[in-house]
Amino acid sequence: MNNTTAAARTDAVLPKWNFAQFASELTEPAPLTSARKAAWKRYSELPFPTRKVEEWRYTDISTIDFELLTPAIRTEEIDEELPADVREILSQSGDRAGVVVYQDGCVVHVELDQVLADAGVILCSLAQAAENHPELLQQALFETRPSTAEEKLWTLHLAILSGGYLLHVPPGVELPAPIHTFNTLKTPGLLTSTHSLIMMEKSARAAVIEEFISEDLDEQTVSLHGASVHCKDSAGIEYVTVQQYGRGVAHFSTQHTVAHHNAKSITFNVGLGADLSRADVTSRLLGPGSDSEMLALWFGDAQQHFDHHTLQHHKAPHAHSDLLFKGALTDKASSVFRGLIQVDVGAQLTDAYQTNRNLLLSEGSHATALPNLEIEADDVRCSHGATIGQVDNTQLFYLMSRGLTQRQAERLLVFGFFDEVLGRLPMAGVRERIRGAIEEKIGL
Amino acid sequence: MPQNETIKELGLDEYKYDFVTDDKPVFRAVPGLSEEIVRQISAHKEEPEWMLEFRLKAYEIYESKPMPEWGGDLSTLEATLDNIYFYLKPQDQMERSWDDVPQEIKDTFDKLGIPEAERKALAGVGAQYESEMVYHSLKEQWEEQGVIFDSIEDGLRNHPDLFKQYFATVIPQADNKFSALNSAVWSGGSFVYIPKGVKVEIPLQAYFRVNSERMGQFERTLIIVDEGADAHYVEGCTAPVYTTESFHSGVIEIIVKKGGNFRYTTIQNWSNNMYNLVTQRAMVHEDAKMEWLDGNLGSKLTMKYPSCYLVGEGAHGEILSIAYAGDGQHQDTGGKVVHAAPHTTSQITSKSISRGEGRASYRGLCKVYDGALDAKSNVECDALLLDETSRTDTYPYIEIDENTASIGHEATVSKVGDEQIFYLMSRGLDEAEAMAMIVRGFIEPVAKELPLEYAIELNRLIELEMEGSVG
Repeated sequence: MNNTTAAARTDAVLPKWNFAQFASELTEPAPLTSARKAAWKRYSELPFPTRKVEEWRYTDISTIDFELLTPAIRTEEIDEELPADVREILSQSGDRAGVVVYQDGCVVHVELDQVLADAGVILCSLAQAAENHPELLQQALFETRPSTAEEKLWTLHLAILSGGYLLHVPPGVELPAPIHTFNTLKTPGLLTSTHSLIMMEKSARAAVIEEFISEDLDEQTVSLHGASVHCKDSAGIEYVTVQQYGRGVAHFSTQHTVAHHNAKSITFNVGLGADLSRADVTSRLLGPGSDSEMLALWFGDAQQHFDHHTLQHHKAPHAHSDLLFKGALTDKASSVFRGLIQVDVGAQLTDAYQTNRNLLLSEGSHATALPNLEIEADDVRCSHGATIGQVDNTQLFYLMSRGLTQRQAERLLVFGFFDEVLGRLPMAGVRERIRGAIEEKIGL
Repeated sequence: MPQNETIKELGLDEYKYDFVTDDKPVFRAVPGLSEEIVRQISAHKEEPEWMLEFRLKAYEIYESKPMPEWGGDLSTLEATLDNIYFYLKPQDQMERSWDDVPQEIKDTFDKLGIPEAERKALAGVGAQYESEMVYHSLKEQWEEQGVIFDSIEDGLRNHPDLFKQYFATVIPQADNKFSALNSAVWSGGSFVYIPKGVKVEIPLQAYFRVNSERMGQFERTLIIVDEGADAHYVEGCTAPVYTTESFHSGVIEIIVKKGGNFRYTTIQNWSNNMYNLVTQRAMVHEDAKMEWLDGNLGSKLTMKYPSCYLVGEGAHGEILSIAYAGDGQHQDTGGKVVHAAPHTTSQITSKSISRGEGRASYRGLCKVYDGALDAKSNVECDALLLDETSRTDTYPYIEIDENTASIGHEATVSKVGDEQIFYLMSRGLDEAEAMAMIVRGFIEPVAKELPLEYAIELNRLIELEMEGSVG
């Protein structure tokens, strides 16, 4: 950010984070404001993570001056109509059970299938949730404690929350189609903060697909995103995010999934856009028989940087987790994968796996992999693997002998490389949507 | 850390702590570290001026660097360092009597079947004349071919040019806090030079070294393997080392020149109150091959990551590592390979066993720099957990800046299967024997690379450590 912009920004809504003024401009239920204030207090005490902090060693955020950005102020101007651009996308993406649309970090549209609403499913903005279900927010969101290294951005996320939604699925209810959300950014120089709070009661089932979209923006813009996904006994969730922001955007997503007895969670992160994209994905297995599948794929070009930070935390015995993260990089793009399987004392009969595979397609690209294990129980099966390499020359040669150019052949192989991850998503509609996004990005 | 120790205080301490009733004057510094002590060590060794300056600079760096916050728990180390002697003249260690050796260690020697003379040598209490005679002829043979195998002090004295050319080129003072500490107070260690094309077929063994002094707490080893030369160096003892020392920080520097071939084997079995923080690194040139064989059985905390810097085209590095973390021990070990030239290859194989409240961590680095075309590296870590309270960690760092690289890392963690134990017991073994057999099988890929007598001893040591682990 150059000096003139910096000067202009000091006159913006929040001159160097006048939080009191920011909070006074909000009209919202009291529990939300007091949670913000608590988060702000903690935020003010913490230093920004630098590359000296192990978790941030390979991702430099010192170039972003968060306090010079304009925080999006939460508004509650819900539009009955679906915005036109979103309607366009939805027309191509099959059935859905509900829709949430954000613009510049604020919720502008929420809709839910009437049949589901009648069955007791709740889909509403966080402000409404704060009014009607404050206790849910308190226990499921405000009491979440991230790791020390993530706390700075997490507390900022809560303090300046600009929008969010609650999805609550009552016991035994199964959503027939996914909830589809759109996080669109239009104004350059903004700092937005959105949160997805998903509560799955006993034996409830749902799929959520979240898309993050913008054009290229000509000023540094930052999107903070959080997701808290709670699965009670035997519940099931498929949580998918597709990040396709334009250049100029930095995206930080913190996702916490909790699975109780026999619950099954699947998270899937697709990273295609933004200059800098960081996903911190945690899965906690709290009940015996719980199962977590963590999937991700990313394709980086130009000077994009992707950072994936994961934790598979086994607190209960007899749980299973499996992680598969695959990335391909070209031009001068770079990526980091840092994963940890943590097995607590007493979490016997744990089955945990972690795999990270990277393809480097160009001379200037580079990848870092740090697959870690910390095992404190003895009756476990844990393994991890990481590879970094190029596409297979024999395969490339074969495809080229069938008439494809090198570029076409290479891209086709990358697509195949990703398909292993995609194939693990149960919902066909969601799979197709992601395939389309990847095709568009890699130019197949 | 005590500062500005006056000469007077030094004098007092000299009497207070000097329990050796011998007419030879024995030098001993006061506990803790100061610039004065560094100067004394250098003066005592009658070193050239440049070495004194090197030590003082290192001391400055050591003081300015913070304690590492990663790896093992070093929180009590600072206090330990204030109380240890940074320099003891080797003689007084050697003049302890056999009676001072604790009974448990004597028993271990008995169980290992080590001959009386060797036992005394291993425990650091016996004279080494017996072995001197045996190996005297070997020494002559090496010398005829130009091989130098000296103590590090003799190396500096007798081969000053060669020494100065390579000393601290692989591990500079400022590399890390403990390499700086070692650079300031180093004492003891080996200086080895293998001339061009010479192949030394018998392993060079540190404790067979003629005129050898027992390894100090801050040993410093410098090994130069010239073009096309070939050698194997074995360091340390496989039997428990009798020591009252609580801190060990060595620096091992190795240069393998074009087409050279070198293997460094070390099996560490320090006593369980010891901090063992070692920096060991090899610079591997064109078409040369370096192998580290690293065994860590003892100590309270070991932090040791043998490294290969592959700086010449076609260089190959291999690290075979085995760690055994018994009750209360933390083995934070692993290996580093840095690929800085095209067509370089490396392999790391790590095996660890944790028992009781032991913790074994693998920490490693695989770095490929831009331009190191077609670098290939493979890392495999296997961990075995023997008890509910045991812990194992794996922390590999894989940093790749070159797209033609091909890198793989795999790790597995498991326990000894009930069905495996059951099968062996059905064949007539008792549970402890069955367990020991499985553990031996687990470490076999590393053990088979050891010279025979070391492999046998390693197996027996593991067996001893395993006693009482079942039932």
